Amino acid sequence: MSTETTLRRVGQVPGRATSVARPARRRKRGPQLKSLLIACVFLAPLAVFYGIYYFYGFGFLAQVSTEQVSLSFLSAVNVGWDNFRLVLTDSIFQRSLLNNLALAAFSVFVALTLGFLVAMMLASGLRARRLIYTVVLLPSLIPLSLFATVFGRMLDTRDGAINELLRNVGLGFMAQDWIVNEPSAYAALGILLTFMIGLPVIYYTADLGQVNGSILEAATLDGASVWQIFRLILFPVLRNTHTTVIIAAVLGSFRAFDIVFFSTGGQPGGRTGIIGTYIYSSALGSDRVGFAAAASIIVLVIALSLSLVQLIFGRKNK
Amino acid sequence: MRSRLKTAAILIVATTGLIGLVGCQAQAGSGSGQGKVVLNYYTWFPSEAILTKAIAGFEKANPNITVNLKEFTNTDYQKALPLALSGGEPVDIAGVQIDAMTNTVKDQLLPVSKWKSDLDPGIYSSIDAKALKQTANVASDGKLYSLPLGSIGSAVMFYNATILKELGMTPPKTAKDFQADVAVIKAKKPGILPVATAGKDAWWQEEVLMTLAEQDNPGISSQIISGTGKWNQPAMIAALQTYKGMFDSGILSTDSLSVAYGDHNTQFNDGKAVFLIDATWNDYYLSAAARKAAKNDLADVGAVAIPVMHAGGKPAARALTEGGLAIPTTSKHPAEAAKFISYMFSKAGVNTWGPDLVVIPSVKGFSLPADTLTTPAAVDGLKTITSLVLNATSARHSNQAFNNAVEGNSILDVLSGKKTAKEAADFMQSEWTSGRYPHGKQ
Repeated sequence: MSTETTLRRVGQVPGRATSVARPARRRKRGPQLKSLLIACVFLAPLAVFYGIYYFYGFGFLAQVSTEQVSLSFLSAVNVGWDNFRLVLTDSIFQRSLLNNLALAAFSVFVALTLGFLVAMMLASGLRARRLIYTVVLLPSLIPLSLFATVFGRMLDTRDGAINELLRNVGLGFMAQDWIVNEPSAYAALGILLTFMIGLPVIYYTADLGQVNGSILEAATLDGASVWQIFRLILFPVLRNTHTTVIIAAVLGSFRAFDIVFFSTGGQPGGRTGIIGTYIYSSALGSDRVGFAAAASIIVLVIALSLSLVQLIFGRKNK
Repeated sequence: MRSRLKTAAILIVATTGLIGLVGCQAQAGSGSGQGKVVLNYYTWFPSEAILTKAIAGFEKANPNITVNLKEFTNTDYQKALPLALSGGEPVDIAGVQIDAMTNTVKDQLLPVSKWKSDLDPGIYSSIDAKALKQTANVASDGKLYSLPLGSIGSAVMFYNATILKELGMTPPKTAKDFQADVAVIKAKKPGILPVATAGKDAWWQEEVLMTLAEQDNPGISSQIISGTGKWNQPAMIAALQTYKGMFDSGILSTDSLSVAYGDHNTQFNDGKAVFLIDATWNDYYLSAAARKAAKNDLADVGAVAIPVMHAGGKPAARALTEGGLAIPTTSKHPAEAAKFISYMFSKAGVNTWGPDLVVIPSVKGFSLPADTLTTPAAVDGLKTITSLVLNATSARHSNQAFNNAVEGNSILDVLSGKKTAKEAADFMQSEWTSGRYPHGKQ
């Protein structure tokens, strides 16, 4: 590398653009600083609010996670890392975590397949478009707790709507203990999660409008079939939307507390429990708040790790 | 522009002032104003309607004291009270769920010894000494932090006396009787459910299991929960097998395993179930007037102990005091709060909430108004229940966290055939000693 090149890089070649550029930069710096200051003033209250919210909240959680303490937060006993050890070695926690990951994988699968296909159908100018939109979106707009409670009641063995329906149409032999049997309890959760494809459909529908129409025209002129357009053009073109949908589905599964709690209640035998229901039941009872706090921190670390992995992959893809 | 800014500034100042004023007023609401003391009473029991009557009676007798009632639902209250006390909310009287909450909030409550002298004369001695001792024993330091309104127990069995009479049957006392009764009901009343019970809730599974265990081994529940007995001892494995046997023999139906506690009452209330396995806090079933108030059309209801499952066993139930009244350390009016508590235990007070039949009052010599129980089935039922509660073989203690995470699910696994009784009992014992579920005296 020549000296001139080096100097040019650091802007020190006399008589070149750098000497002209300097006053221009100076002229810009004033208003820039002012804008920055104004931005800071406006952002400061929010930053302080979030600062307190996060740092105090997480700090408090971290402190409590090393204690054996009740909800009164009095007479705490320091137990060091014991709560973390107890959570990590708990087979119920491990199962809950696996369930969470399984639900996340299922949500992603449904969103990327069914969600994508529904969005495509809606974008293709279907006649009953608005009706289908409403049907697909409605479960996402209703409070999940209500939705899951109603669904949970439908699964009741004795007088649930599903078994009643089966009995009334002469298929009583198919009526069963939906929540007491493991496969059907998981299937019930799967159905509930499938109903939640409303948001992925919105994401896809919004981004489909941004796709350059000329690409599709060109593909059509080249004789591409509808399936080929979906598979080879639209699916890859919408890769940023897929990323958004995947993140939403994965993080959504960590917040699926209400879906599980109000439908299967973690049954049978706690086998469909997830991290959310685990933390909730951990906090009940005396002197258990520290244990629940440790479980929360572990989940927080896992969720942050997942986000970090996504960020790294996202950058590589870009 | 300037005038607009001025207007905006005035509005902001005025709004802030108003908020401050309201805040100050709210604070004042917890204290005294113009010589009148305002007490804040947080509780979940007795019901709001009953307490409103009791408070009206107290305020009439004490015109200088006003009681503000804040009533919560059962499970919400377990979290709401500790957080309210930690957050500095001005609570003067706190209802305490004796088993579920005493150790969580005891550090924020005044021991009864600190306000005993503020109680009206004769009130403390009118409370059953056994109930006071039981309440004190719940606290990890053995101190008395609340005065218990009464006692509750479980599990017991209510029955539709009208249907039993129609079928010419008597309430079962043994497993054999029970099985025979269920067979008759299935044959003669095909649309009627013989026994309504709940299987979905972990805590209720424990209630039924421990009742069965207590029949053959009185005191086993207290031993285990206090940490001196093992979950996988032979007696407990046998109790799990007995419970499973009730399903295998057809006494109980597996479709009840997905029924939540509370939902199981529906069929009984509608006259579509003959027996109801429940707890004494639903003793209102025995009172025709209370049933009518609850819009329940059942003509006659009786109650018995859960039938004895093995020869040599005895009817049993676990019971514990419930509905503790306590005074938080932060109360600015402990003397007035003690006055209200005195009223609740006075004749006038107990006559307001006692006939509600949720608890068996701990006030000595309390008797129900003569017209509360109108049939022999109801009279005998309450007599049986009272005897079971007052002679309980174990305290109705539970380790809530263990129950939710391990015990309930293990019982359900046995009932649904996923685990043997031994496997489930071994798992419970290993989890019990894992350190995850603090128990016994800490």
